[in-house]
Amino acid sequence: MTEALHFDINGIKECQRNRHPLLFVDRVYDVVPGEKASGLKCFTYNEWFFPAHFDDEPNVPGFIQVESLVQTFIMTFLSKDELKGKKTNFLGINNVKFKRKIVPGDTLIVHATLQSYRRGIATGSAVSFVGDEPACSADFVVAVPDVLDQFKPKSAP
Amino acid sequence: MSNLDKYQKVFKESFQYEGDLEQLAYQGITEWDSVGHMQLMAALEDMFGIELDVDDIIDFSSFKKGITILAKYNVAI
Repeated sequence: MTEALHFDINGIKECQRNRHPLLFVDRVYDVVPGEKASGLKCFTYNEWFFPAHFDDEPNVPGFIQVESLVQTFIMTFLSKDELKGKKTNFLGINNVKFKRKIVPGDTLIVHATLQSYRRGIATGSAVSFVGDEPACSADFVVAVPDVLDQFKPKSAP
Repeated sequence: MSNLDKYQKVFKESFQYEGDLEQLAYQGITEWDSVGHMQLMAALEDMFGIELDVDDIIDFSSFKKGITILAKYNVAI
């Protein structure tokens, strides 16, 4: 049985190309490359978006919640040695659900599962919680362009 | 269902395309781009229970060309 991997912020930055102010996972743990990963993001009032969203009721914008989910999800395959450091692109996001407002002081826990990875296209899902309360979830299709490009026909006939 | 029926079904479902399949080629419709190509290859592998080589995936540039490529995998269309 393979021992699960753990990544601190430097380890995460070695695997994926997202950077401040758009890196929304602080630690990734329980990673089985090619299968699953869990992530943790601590939101404090020092986040750049809280004063703007909203000044009288700070909470995490939906697109940032989705980024937390997908940035944990991509660790399920970018943790493989041959894919570390590759850029990724969204191909699809489905079934996005927001169930709880996330506010300063909350810690978001994300559990991501890789359903398949074939020739630069990954499909899977992620669910998240604050404590025991479900927060947000989504299904993803993500591409690794460097890999995808190796398989496309050189040109039309 | 014949292999031809299966082959046509994969194209139609992958690209949501009801036009002339005989003339269909890579980048001939917007749906058959690099991403669509990978989805098509995966669907063909699943349909026929095969695993395509990298060179064959790159050579797979049209509906007609695909028929000759699949023959290498003992899939007669």
